[in-house]
Amino acid sequence: MFGIPLTFAAPLALAALVALPALWVLLRVTPPRPRRIHFPPLALVADLLPKRETPARTPPWLLILRILAAACLILAVAGPVWNPGGIGAAAGREPLLLILDNGFVAAQDWRDRLRAATDEIEAAARDGRPVALVASAEAPAPFEARPPAAALERLRAIKPRPHLGDRDAHLASIGTFLERMPAASIVWISDGVRGVGETDFAKSLGDLASRHGSAVTVLKAERSPALALEGSPVQPGEKLSAQVLRAEANGRDAGLVRALDQKGLPLAESRFTLQPEAREASVSFDLPVELRNAIARLEIEGEHSAGAVVLMDERGKRRRVGLVFGGTLDQAQPLLAPTYYLAKALSPFADVQQPRAGQGTAESIGQMLDNQVSVLALADVGALDDRTLARVETFVEEGGLLLRFAGPRLAAGNDPLVPVRLRRGGRSLGGTLSWDRPKTLAAFAPESPFAGLNPPADIGVRRQILAEPDGDLPGKTWAALQDGTPIVTAGKRGQGLVVLFHVTADTTWSNLPLSGLFVDMLRRVVGLAGPSAKLGEGDGRQANGQAKAALLAPRLTLDGFGALGSPPASATAVPADFADRAGPEHPPGFYGTAEGGIAVNALAPGDRLRPLDLTGLKGARMGSLAGAETLDLRALLFSLALTLLALDTLAGLWLGGFFRGAGRVSRGRAATAALLLPALLGLALVFAPPPARAQEPPANRPNGIESALATRLAFVVTGDAATDAASRAGLSGLSQMLAARTALEPGEPAGLNLEKDELAFYPLIYWPIVAGRPQPSEAAIRKIDAFMRNGGTVIFDTRDAQTARANGPPTPETAYLRKMLATLEVPELEPVPPDHVLTKAFYLVDSFPGRLSTGQTWVETIPPAGEGGERRPARAGDGVTPIIITGNDLAAAWAVGRNGEPLYPVTGDQRQREMAFRGGINIVIYTLTGNYKADQVHVPALLERLGQ
Amino acid sequence: MASTRLVEAESRRPGGAQTGGALALAEVMPRLVLESRRVSGTLAHGLHGRRRAGPGESFWQFRPFVTGEAAARIDWRRSARDDRLYVREREWEAAHNIWIWIDRSASMGFASDLAQTSKVERALVLGLALADTFVEGGERVGLLGLTRASASRGIVETLAQALVDDRAGLMQDLPPPARPGRFDEVVLVSDFLTPLDRVREAVQANSVHGNRGHLVLVADPVEETFPFTGQAVLHDPEGGLSLDIGEAGAWGEAYRARIAAHRDGLSEIARQRGWTLTIHRTDRPASEAALRVLTLVAAARGLG
Repeated sequence: MFGIPLTFAAPLALAALVALPALWVLLRVTPPRPRRIHFPPLALVADLLPKRETPARTPPWLLILRILAAACLILAVAGPVWNPGGIGAAAGREPLLLILDNGFVAAQDWRDRLRAATDEIEAAARDGRPVALVASAEAPAPFEARPPAAALERLRAIKPRPHLGDRDAHLASIGTFLERMPAASIVWISDGVRGVGETDFAKSLGDLASRHGSAVTVLKAERSPALALEGSPVQPGEKLSAQVLRAEANGRDAGLVRALDQKGLPLAESRFTLQPEAREASVSFDLPVELRNAIARLEIEGEHSAGAVVLMDERGKRRRVGLVFGGTLDQAQPLLAPTYYLAKALSPFADVQQPRAGQGTAESIGQMLDNQVSVLALADVGALDDRTLARVETFVEEGGLLLRFAGPRLAAGNDPLVPVRLRRGGRSLGGTLSWDRPKTLAAFAPESPFAGLNPPADIGVRRQILAEPDGDLPGKTWAALQDGTPIVTAGKRGQGLVVLFHVTADTTWSNLPLSGLFVDMLRRVVGLAGPSAKLGEGDGRQANGQAKAALLAPRLTLDGFGALGSPPASATAVPADFADRAGPEHPPGFYGTAEGGIAVNALAPGDRLRPLDLTGLKGARMGSLAGAETLDLRALLFSLALTLLALDTLAGLWLGGFFRGAGRVSRGRAATAALLLPALLGLALVFAPPPARAQEPPANRPNGIESALATRLAFVVTGDAATDAASRAGLSGLSQMLAARTALEPGEPAGLNLEKDELAFYPLIYWPIVAGRPQPSEAAIRKIDAFMRNGGTVIFDTRDAQTARANGPPTPETAYLRKMLATLEVPELEPVPPDHVLTKAFYLVDSFPGRLSTGQTWVETIPPAGEGGERRPARAGDGVTPIIITGNDLAAAWAVGRNGEPLYPVTGDQRQREMAFRGGINIVIYTLTGNYKADQVHVPALLERLGQ
Repeated sequence: MASTRLVEAESRRPGGAQTGGALALAEVMPRLVLESRRVSGTLAHGLHGRRRAGPGESFWQFRPFVTGEAAARIDWRRSARDDRLYVREREWEAAHNIWIWIDRSASMGFASDLAQTSKVERALVLGLALADTFVEGGERVGLLGLTRASASRGIVETLAQALVDDRAGLMQDLPPPARPGRFDEVVLVSDFLTPLDRVREAVQANSVHGNRGHLVLVADPVEETFPFTGQAVLHDPEGGLSLDIGEAGAWGEAYRARIAAHRDGLSEIARQRGWTLTIHRTDRPASEAALRVLTLVAAARGLG
């Protein structure tokens, strides 16, 4: 359209642009005039913002904003497309044949390929051309052109395959298709890599196309960016190596290869560098054997392609060691069994297998050999039956390592499976009937596999089996005692090795199994073992020598992006000796069981990637994957319209005075005030101290030195004037009564502000509960907690004895108290028992009435009276109860006016007030003296003991 | 939708209608409260002997000296007669005045068609009726900062005249700081549509001696519920403010929250000083508020 690459899907929608001027007029409509309301409380609420408002006249810039938004919407509805048609699009109504390479090489830039393919199909859709889609790594099948929507659907289902594609296989079906649709244009989205064993597909395609007069377009990256990793799944030895491959120099010259374990945790990484023009580089890992054995896969970091993964199978890994003990395994003392020492010493670097319990030696050995062990350790196994002997011999002949330990049975028997000829019986050193001392090991000879190890001096061999002094004995001796008698001998047999320790594997003959040297020696011995016995061999033999190797079912396979998952339905089993690269039927992955399976990789060892040769494709257009992409402007325009509408909303809010913080106030001064008010409010919120509370006069807060000088009762200032006055008067009254009747002359009661005041000076705090007050702050609660913990007592007075019902809902005061105490550590409570020392601290009282008398008084539970002991008149716990809860409104009963007159009536007679005072005096004396009164019961006994 | 009106400034001053209404209301106020006061026996009104020990002139009793008391209290003449120390106590005589203040500012001259009457009229009737009832009960009543306290039978007319003369009071929306005495009581009748800080100052100024007081908040139902909808501009008769609130229905939410907070603040102010707050809506009968205030005054007396 007009020379610019812009088309509209629905050009008729543009006609709506004509309506924009009408919209202009519509938006300028003024809102109705608001009504006037006389409203006195306005002064209080002048800073409240109007919620919804339409300004009298829409400002021009806002109009323009809205018109723009409307225009954007109209344009978006018209469906503009920038740069319609992909690069490879050809005009006309002929079908499009899309060939998409989806081998693992394409996985690395799969998104780009998918986008290029989508662009092509969408361009075809715009032109109304049918589309045929061929994925080169899928199995070849006849195909035909379909509507673009169906092709798009199919395209979405195509994923990169974890193996190389075989384009040649598709040539036949492509030819058939072109026969039917001769003028079809062909677009080949190529990965630019020539598969292993592929003939010249490009040339064949070019021939086909020229024969049928089709135009061919090849879309490919200029230089194939894919990297691949090639390595053998079986790598004995401690060093792992792999080759980083690429088809052609592509600028990606360095990277990281990562080694992961079975769970996908990275164990090691190694950096590789490719020479600028080189097509391969080697990367290797040198790791301790334990780590190396844990490695399950190598991958190029960030490549996300099945070709960049090398899976390692079990064949290159930890040696599997089977332990068989010739004696009866005493299950009651497993720690004394030789196999225990061996298992402990071997488990750091080998996979130790032990036979099921309760089998004979022959069955055990058979089971171990069936388990494909690479090292068979026989601890004190004597003579074997012929069949087992034959199996063990075959095992050794074929490369197995037989590790034997001496013992009474071996010493007694005559056994061919030993490296050297042995003398019957053993030799004892350092026994009770011997002059010798236990012998220690001599230094290892340089040619011994143990060379370099340092035998500690404290190893003592008390007994050993002696070898006949044959001529070849020194050559077979790996370790000897200081007197030259061999202690470890070894001999080759076929491809295998027989190693004999001339001592037991437990500590009866020597303390060698207790030393670290034993572990090192076993490590070296096991390290000599060849790779595990050939897999499938046992199975093959069980199948009576059938030549065919066993089949292994796929267990975990890689997808095209190099992620392990369950195998697809198309994956089939591989023979155990499969050594080829992965293919459509055998995707790369692990086959067989977890213990003894094999790994199949996308690239077989020795495979190399080569660039695609496109010279055979005559007259083809070349395009790049990252070419100009088709841009559907609808999304852009819609989001632009949305942004403009959002701006419009913000502007509307601003016009409505939201950001100014006030409505339009008519008078100048008032307007200024209203404008300043929110700002001031904000400032005040920032700088304001905590909300001002009723300030206690300083005299009411005798904290500090005055408080320390005199004992005072204290109450919590609740902020409720009437309650606080009652508390103060009540504690004054109680103080006067204490001064008159007891030795205690308390000072003026103190009103405490929990937020500010120090509580440590007061033995007793009276806390009347007022339901409506805000809960004390967390800091105050913690303060009270500390006060109670350090021996203080708090009386919580809910003052609700009249309104509380035994089984009714909690009164507001009780609910308030419960909420407050929820975060406090309150001990278990009980109603004051009749023998509690609180009832006997000064007066003998039964209850603790206040202004009300029906409330229950709760204190901390004291330990129950001892069973059967003499009945003591008073009991007390270890300390003073930290909490007393009552509902009797004690302070009101104690309250006296300035002239000593009671201020509040009590519900009962005057005696109740007297009892309230007595109870109060008891509480105060109790908090001050603790369990002293309870201990007074011992006085007669003490006097008696003194002889008085 | 409710409509609102403002009454003339002239009618914010009490006339025959208000005094008559006040007397009629006082007429129906029950003797109940006063009866209960008589029964309690601890409460008397005016300058009476209180029949209990306290500050006063006439002798009440001798009582034994209690340890810790000031030695100056000992009546040595009596104590010399035997070995014990005695304190002479006098009967407690105290004048109890009740000070009433009625807000007549412009904001009080507001009435909506949901209300029975304007706020100022209701406040005047309420205040004058209370005055009459208190005098009936033997108390002395005065207008805060305006008249002396008196117990004359024609108290309503006296106070109404004083209010009519007081033109400055038409502009004040809070009581003057009058510093009433320790045992006086203050009754403030107003709509309290002033910022809380100013209310707090006024209340503190009138409770410097720790005396009791009662706030009676007279409110129009419209001020509480704000039943308006649609575009609206609000006008404040007092400050001359006007505010375009846009859609009134939506604004009302915020307004109601604000007014509730204001009331909470008032209640907190009253509570801090040991005062009480009575909220009275002009669509309710005046006797409701009058009864409650009388009960509160009686209860406060009971606590001594």
